[in-house]
Amino acid sequence: MSDPRIVFDNVSRFYGEVLGVNRVNLAIPPGITSLVGPNGSGKTTLMNLMTGLIHPTRGSVTILGIPTGRPEELFRKMGYCTQFDAFPKGLTGYQFIYSFLLVHGMVESEAVRLTEEALERVSMTAAAGRPVAAYSKGMRQRIKLAQAIAHRPTVLVLDEPLNGLDPMARNETIALFKQWGGEGRHVIVSSHILHEVDRISDQVILLSHGYVVAEGQIHDVRSEVKDQPMQILVRCDKPGVLAARLFEKDNVVEAKVNSDGRGLLVRTRDADNLYLMLNRIVLDSGLDVDAVAPADDDVNSVYQYLIGGEGGTT
Amino acid sequence: MAVFKHAYKGYEGALTPAWSRFLILPRYAFAEKRRSRFFSLFFLVSILAPLIFALLIYVQHSLSAMKLLQIGSSNLITVNAAFFMNLLGWQSMMTLFLAAFVGPGQISPDLANNALPLYLSRPFSRAEYVLGKMSVLLILMSIMTWIPGLLLFILQASLEGNGWFGQNLRIAGAIFLGSWIWILFLSLLSLALSAWVKWKPMAGGLLFGSFFVAAGFGGAINAILRTSWGNLINISHLIGTVWTSLFERPMHRGSGAFFFRVHGGDVPTWCCWMALVLICAGCLYLLSHKIRGAEVVR
Repeated sequence: MSDPRIVFDNVSRFYGEVLGVNRVNLAIPPGITSLVGPNGSGKTTLMNLMTGLIHPTRGSVTILGIPTGRPEELFRKMGYCTQFDAFPKGLTGYQFIYSFLLVHGMVESEAVRLTEEALERVSMTAAAGRPVAAYSKGMRQRIKLAQAIAHRPTVLVLDEPLNGLDPMARNETIALFKQWGGEGRHVIVSSHILHEVDRISDQVILLSHGYVVAEGQIHDVRSEVKDQPMQILVRCDKPGVLAARLFEKDNVVEAKVNSDGRGLLVRTRDADNLYLMLNRIVLDSGLDVDAVAPADDDVNSVYQYLIGGEGGTT
Repeated sequence: MAVFKHAYKGYEGALTPAWSRFLILPRYAFAEKRRSRFFSLFFLVSILAPLIFALLIYVQHSLSAMKLLQIGSSNLITVNAAFFMNLLGWQSMMTLFLAAFVGPGQISPDLANNALPLYLSRPFSRAEYVLGKMSVLLILMSIMTWIPGLLLFILQASLEGNGWFGQNLRIAGAIFLGSWIWILFLSLLSLALSAWVKWKPMAGGLLFGSFFVAAGFGGAINAILRTSWGNLINISHLIGTVWTSLFERPMHRGSGAFFFRVHGGDVPTWCCWMALVLICAGCLYLLSHKIRGAEVVR
């Protein structure tokens, strides 16, 4: 069986003397993977390397075991949606999908079938006969997605696919990503919209200045950020009592009672130990606990801790 | 790692041969051109000359037509290499206008709209992209140059008989080869300029400029330095010299081939060949530099 992962093996890419990405080692499993980082961090370079549109200065990239230098095999498995509005002049939505399927090598009858299938998946069947130039931003984004999925690829590389979408279209698109990811495909998404990245991603890759700062499932990444105490929100009836008991322990850095008097935000260096302690305190003090949840176990917090406020949108 | 249910199925249907995929590009380009009235009119005008030349050949061989038009045998035009060279010269000049009209619209809109990744993120190479775009020009220019040229040659051979075909086979070769040299050169130049400036009107203007301004500059070099080497940047001179060697006939001033007349001077033919090859190499370099899936921002 071929390798089901996307593998970057010590990949560097320089543009002359300008760094694109440097010494990237990744093994991306199927599911939804988000590339997160500020402008110029190397997200698009990484995507261009995956799609073989640029080649590494050093190292190698393989997609499901296929080197990116073999386009005939690679692009049977891969669909790419650029961040730019890129449409040949004068085509309708239908012609746009259909013509690129022909370029892809599909015979005409199959191209017709796949075009209709792709249009239906992005809910663009009704507007397919209109020129792309007359589409709204959201419709253009969806027709771009349709051309990326039309040939039924296993790997989808989508550069800023949520840009310009209204909330309804955004929800529909996210649902599509989840469906594709759930089917065992690779869905590689770059986005600035961190709370949505959080909603959809099985794993994230954080980039800054051309380097991979962190990668993996967001919970694992967060637990690796040792220098930033973990924030845990405990909803309970006696937050003051809880705070007093917690301060008896060394690893609690800060505890803040919520303004509604029904919760306590705790910052700790050892979350696992805190959860154990909490069990004991609840039993000893007879607290009525409604909920316990990490408050900064998300992409936005990890982004802030590792990269800082360099441009993520929340 | 998460466990996924593989509910999707990749495409397993039939595929077209890889070599044929570049032909999708001209298909859409022709559909777009058909919508242009100006283009249709221009194309009709461009076949007038071959029709007139065909008429001349016919009249030449029809006593009744000569009688009707009251033409004496002394007034007849001789159908020889010069005759076909004139046709080729006239038609090639028309293709220059065609290239200025059609050529810049091939690549520059894709570059301006960042559409190249759409093509190149398929099993479709940069060379196939250029070939696809170029084939639009190659097909249109062929219809205007060597195809009517050879049809007229066959018409003349069939009407003349008496071994005319065999005796003048070189003319057919010169029409075919001369046309293709011009077509390939002009297509490459117009695509390279289109890729370079990314703006259609500017690319069209530059195409004309590369002929007329360079010719003027070459003439100035010749006049100031009292030399003939300035002709090496005069494209019509280069092509004219190459055609002269192919047809083994001098280009006549005032004929249909006036645009390609050789302005005297003694630049060796091989130098003209080399100059054409160098310009084509420059165009290929420009295209390979500009046609990329991802723009390299330095």
